[in-house]
Amino acid sequence: MTAAATIPGAGRPRRLGRALPGAFWALILLTPAFVSLASVSFYPIVNGLYLSLTNTSLITQDQDFIGFSNYVQLWGDPQFWNAWWHTMWFTAASTVLETVIGLGMALILCEAFKGRGLVRAAMLVPWAMPTVVTSKMFGWLFDGQNGIVNYILLHAGLIDQNINWYGSPDTAMITIIIADVWKTTPFMALLLLTGLQTVPNSLIEAARMDGAKGWITFWHIRLPLLTPTLLIAGLFRALDAFRVFDLVYVLTGGGPADSTETLSTLSYKVLFSTLQFGYGSAVSTAMFITEGIIALVFVVFLVRQIRRAQ
Amino acid sequence: MTDMKKRPTAAPKPVGHVTIADRRQFLIGSAGLLGAAAFGAGTSLGIGRARAQSRAEISFASAAFFGKETFGDLIKAFNESQDRILVKNIELPPPSSSTEVYQGLVQQLARRNGTPDVFSQDVIWIAGFAAAGWALPLDEYFPADKRSAYFTGTLNACTYGGKLTALPWFMDSGMFYYRKDVLEKHGGKVPENWADMAIIAAAAQKAGDVDFGYLWQGKQAEVLVCDAVEIITSNNGAILAPDGKSSLINQKGAVEAIQFLHDTIATTKISPQDVLSWDEEPSRQPFTSGKAMFMRNWSYVYPIAQDAKASQVVDKVGVAPLPSFPGGKSSACLGGYQLGVNANSKQREAAIELLTWLSSTETQHRIALNFGLAPTRPALFQDEQIKKEQPFMASLEKVFTGATARPITPQYAKVTLALQSGISKALVSGKVQAEMDTLADQINKIVA
Repeated sequence: MTAAATIPGAGRPRRLGRALPGAFWALILLTPAFVSLASVSFYPIVNGLYLSLTNTSLITQDQDFIGFSNYVQLWGDPQFWNAWWHTMWFTAASTVLETVIGLGMALILCEAFKGRGLVRAAMLVPWAMPTVVTSKMFGWLFDGQNGIVNYILLHAGLIDQNINWYGSPDTAMITIIIADVWKTTPFMALLLLTGLQTVPNSLIEAARMDGAKGWITFWHIRLPLLTPTLLIAGLFRALDAFRVFDLVYVLTGGGPADSTETLSTLSYKVLFSTLQFGYGSAVSTAMFITEGIIALVFVVFLVRQIRRAQ
Repeated sequence: MTDMKKRPTAAPKPVGHVTIADRRQFLIGSAGLLGAAAFGAGTSLGIGRARAQSRAEISFASAAFFGKETFGDLIKAFNESQDRILVKNIELPPPSSSTEVYQGLVQQLARRNGTPDVFSQDVIWIAGFAAAGWALPLDEYFPADKRSAYFTGTLNACTYGGKLTALPWFMDSGMFYYRKDVLEKHGGKVPENWADMAIIAAAAQKAGDVDFGYLWQGKQAEVLVCDAVEIITSNNGAILAPDGKSSLINQKGAVEAIQFLHDTIATTKISPQDVLSWDEEPSRQPFTSGKAMFMRNWSYVYPIAQDAKASQVVDKVGVAPLPSFPGGKSSACLGGYQLGVNANSKQREAAIELLTWLSSTETQHRIALNFGLAPTRPALFQDEQIKKEQPFMASLEKVFTGATARPITPQYAKVTLALQSGISKALVSGKVQAEMDTLADQINKIVA
């Protein structure tokens, strides 16, 4: 490491830098980020796809390439379709409810009133709670014997005997959806609130000058301008709801009678209880594909929306 | 390890003259230290290393149980009791995280590198481990005369393909809890068959002495399979045929039994509909708060029921074998942990020695006193000290004697998921025969 050796060496990269486009250096500088992303995100996905084409199982010690056999089996597996439909139903119901209620909350929070800051902060509490805690809490609220929900309904005369919310296939999924709505509506409200605040006040004032009442202003001015935000928020929410795991796992474990089994709990069982990594990967790949389709539907609407705006 | 020996010579050099060689030596030394720390976690580092040269080193992995001491303390006691073997304790999660314990064990055993040499396992994993070739057959080390000291049910669960592939350690089983004071009013005799149980339960419920007649666990979870095994076996039914290659769950014995469970909710109404979403704890709470007449649960409930801080029914609770159907005999589902040796262990003799020590009368005695876990040796239930310090255990011997294993098959993990789903469907819909037919088809496909 003598001084004589370093001087010519130091000159070269600078000349090289001038010769090559800036994109090259950008690429070099991005490489570490790219490598880390590839190793934690790209590799697991590819490996998962590969595993789904094998019969890998820790128990039998098999790991042969079997092509699409797992997918053929999956296609004829009633457990899978049962979980698929439940997941779709959960996703649709919770996304719609959360969007509608969230929009209502956003509209209220958009108005100026006393203590608005406090309400906005308080509103976020459910969303800030860990889902496991929420799950336990709803477990107690809807407890068949000691739950406060039954207590209130009973004393209000709405029911004449306790409902066993988590023990009946008719109510178990509904209860889980209620828990999810409680937890995630604030998130939607927050997203939609930011969307509402981008609607120029001048437009609304102009409409009011023209004699438009509140409902008409909402329907003809706010809502159309809010649609892209609604679609993006809905997309986020739908993709997240599709992965629901902790609520179901803590509250019902997929029962009773498989009525709350979702794709996440099913793939967890196949992967980690029966240790069939091949078939389990096929289940999670199927989830991945379904999520892709859901995203595509939203994107189609978004693109159409943007074209119309143009 | 060689780096470790060098370190002391490098360390005393004066700090003021740190050379590159010193630095390197230090780095190697600390890397070695880190490695050793990871390797020797649990053993006292210095002493362990000094004696390690002359001792056979093996490892022991187990779910973490706690009591007056831990399994780490137990292993320490073994290490101190002799000077030929040094055991490293690998602690897995507690048994309440059973799936994680299972994954931890499978991942290590699947590597086939001999670690851990000895491990403890839930009874339902034994067949799978044996079929995968991970468990060493123990027949030559434990001949018939040594085996006769254990409960038969536990030994059966430890046997796969005619070979002993695990050694009984400590056990648990399903049992029938009842309220002595309420029973006094309604006949006084502990019911021995299910029909009598239902009649007494309904009477007590009707008289307003209790809110619930009979509590059990109907949640779609492992415990539902245990409840089902008990009631099916008590009607001379079975889930799998003796050869383990086909299912008998749609036969008369099993269908009648599941029908009975359904009727407790739908017809006789001695059980609240809530049992369909209850596992152990939710069903235990109403019982210990005095709201129920009978309950099926594990042995852990007894000490809680006798604890005035947690229970409204101190001294009012009795334990008996579960009832049976006419012509059948009482059956309790076998739980608990058993010991196994890794088939790839490089220190087979040392592993067997540890195994023998862990399952010995003395160690089981210690486990019964310090952990409250029941022995697998019937003789220990007569022990005066255990009778005095853990009075519930002695009264439970009868229950443990007939404990029945869940289906013994290497495909247990798949079978249990199918059972949980199928039985839950039958209980919810009441179409027991139809659901059991579907379930039998599914299980046949899995085990064939």
